[in-house]
Amino acid sequence: MSRPIRHLLSLAVVALAVAGCGTSDHAMHLALAALETPTPTSPASPASKPVTCTNLTSSLRPPATMPVPGAMPQGSFMRAIQRRGYLIAGVSAGALDLGYLNPATGQIEGFEIDLVRELARAIFGNPTGHYRLLALSVPQRIPFVNAGKVDIVVDAVTITCARKQQVDFSTVYYDAQQRVLVLSSSHATSIRDLAGRPVCAAAGSTSIDVMQSLPDPPKPVGLPLGADCLAALQEGTVSAISTDDSILLGFKAQDPNTKLIGQSLADVPYGMAISKAHPEFVRFVNGVLADLRADGTWRRLYDNWLGHIRGANPRLPPAQYAG
Amino acid sequence: MEAAGIAAAPPTPRRRRARAGSALQWVRERLTTTPGRLVLTSIVVVVGAACFGIIATGAEQSRERTVSAARTATEPLLVNAVNLYAGLSDANATVATGLLGIGGLEPQAARNRYLQDLDRATGALTALTRGAGTASAQASLGAIADDLPLYSGLVETARTNNLQDFPVGAAYIRQAATLLNQTILRAADRVYAIEAGRLYGDYRTGTSSATLVALGAAIALGLVPLLLAQPYVTRISHRVLNVPMLAATFVLAGVSVWALFALTSEQRSLAAAQRDGSDVVEARSAADILLSRAQGDLSLTLVNRGTDISDPLDFAAVLRVLTTGELAPRLNAGFASYWAAAKYVQGLEGGGQLEAAIRQLPAVAAVSQRLDRDLREEIAVAQDRFDHATADAASALDGLWLAIPLAAVLAAVLALLGLRQRINEYR
Repeated sequence: MSRPIRHLLSLAVVALAVAGCGTSDHAMHLALAALETPTPTSPASPASKPVTCTNLTSSLRPPATMPVPGAMPQGSFMRAIQRRGYLIAGVSAGALDLGYLNPATGQIEGFEIDLVRELARAIFGNPTGHYRLLALSVPQRIPFVNAGKVDIVVDAVTITCARKQQVDFSTVYYDAQQRVLVLSSSHATSIRDLAGRPVCAAAGSTSIDVMQSLPDPPKPVGLPLGADCLAALQEGTVSAISTDDSILLGFKAQDPNTKLIGQSLADVPYGMAISKAHPEFVRFVNGVLADLRADGTWRRLYDNWLGHIRGANPRLPPAQYAG
Repeated sequence: MEAAGIAAAPPTPRRRRARAGSALQWVRERLTTTPGRLVLTSIVVVVGAACFGIIATGAEQSRERTVSAARTATEPLLVNAVNLYAGLSDANATVATGLLGIGGLEPQAARNRYLQDLDRATGALTALTRGAGTASAQASLGAIADDLPLYSGLVETARTNNLQDFPVGAAYIRQAATLLNQTILRAADRVYAIEAGRLYGDYRTGTSSATLVALGAAIALGLVPLLLAQPYVTRISHRVLNVPMLAATFVLAGVSVWALFALTSEQRSLAAAQRDGSDVVEARSAADILLSRAQGDLSLTLVNRGTDISDPLDFAAVLRVLTTGELAPRLNAGFASYWAAAKYVQGLEGGGQLEAAIRQLPAVAAVSQRLDRDLREEIAVAQDRFDHATADAASALDGLWLAIPLAAVLAAVLALLGLRQRINEYR
């Protein structure tokens, strides 16, 4: 009588042991949960402390005689670049005709890129294969050049007194104006009509600071890249874009249903940013820029890239030197 | 009497006690005579058989429902949740890679793949909307249905700009990817978690030891009175064999052994369905999704050039999960070559050679697509194993739903017959 019961019990024990095997590892959930990265937030524009300086756009004087391409002076930063075999420049990849990745060619092209090319020509004699381009966002530009990740930044960097404390600038290679771009249907005729309304610019750019300093300021919206502002304007999430006319005209070329309004809000001189550790490189770059102005190359590049939308008479103030 | 009851002690316990007392009295009277004791024995045996029939049928039915739910409802829904997630991830990777085609033109193959991916995702979305039971799953599915047209709209705007060589197209790809990664895929992950929870619930129920304990108890309730009754009947009737009672014992014992074997074998098959089937489907799908994510992020770092903020971080997170996570040892060697290729491209871009990186991208995409094909084959094999194992689990229980109640009734009738013979001897 007790034997069949014992047999049944042993069966039940076996069954319980089998039941214990059914464990799950939630493989997919675990793997995907590990992907949860915090939602990116656009970096806040660094609090601009009012720094003043004299001779904002003046830079170091070029050497009396420029070194021969391919024979950079011993011990100079240019020599280090020459030994490395290429110049590496931080550029923009989204500003039409200044520096942008051309979908048609798969290459970064534009006015600023050709300037980088001329710098490479001055160092190596032949630019082809001797320069590399690293696309940077606005907040990356100065840290990258100071950390030596790029030799120079040619990326529509506005020369400001605050930035001059962190990096050296070349002489001005392009003089832009901060203006306002709206949809053609907009009734606004100047930035004053946009007080309190969302107006876009690249996060961390001086355009945001300029907007904030207006007497009747709009609500600045900082997006990671300038091109994000054009998308936001087309989608109606911002009322306008306010930044350099050089960039705005590129936007206008991509969307004919937009227009520039009002007067210039600020003068925006572009300089090439170089680490303060390499003053000889600043002088060298200024020498190259002086040559490009003198031999007509600057004008040819301007006509090639910017002339058709920015007019035949570019404003380019004479180079200023101090020290 | 009622008034008196209210006035005095509470009536009901007393009445109950009185009734219990009279029932006890009845039993006590029966216990004094041999036929009375035989009548009591019949009652206990019949009640035991009835308990066996009811509890064992309940246990069997619970298993049968669970296996059927896993086979036809919860696992197919989980596969749909995986397809939704995987289809969208692959769409994103395909778009980001395809729009980097040199010449502004997206390769036709990439366009077709994107459309197939969307098709796969929307098909899964429809099936899930029809089948998902919980309100929170429905809410997430509704959110996905709302956002999908926005996503595809952003992709088309990006294409249109790209075709005109406008760099603003990159901004739209970025927006589309952000919408997908930050909103749509998170909702898809919630749906996945809910459906996975339901399937795991089925696995737990379908392999639960509580069901076996219940079955064991049912068997004890049915068999113990029968087994105890027979020596007793033998003693008072001085006959060695009571054939109908012995037959009742064999019927009950036979169906008990059958039920125990059926339930343990069902449970073994269901555990195998999970281990070799759906768990493998999940692990391989996770790898496939992460691969799409990696490829998408790699392309986006090239498309977005200079948006340090989110995408390279994301790529690094995917890399970490795939190389150091618990998935890592389960991935085939093809992943190593993918990572090598992807890192090489990332290195080119990081070193200022974007054009070279873009030229290399189709080769990396080809490696990723080969891996994707392998993974999908492995997923199909695992799904096949799941189907077979759950079919085994279902067929293990075949016929039991009828056999248990029939055996219980038969055992009760036989036992009554056997006891009746003895009771009649006293009339």
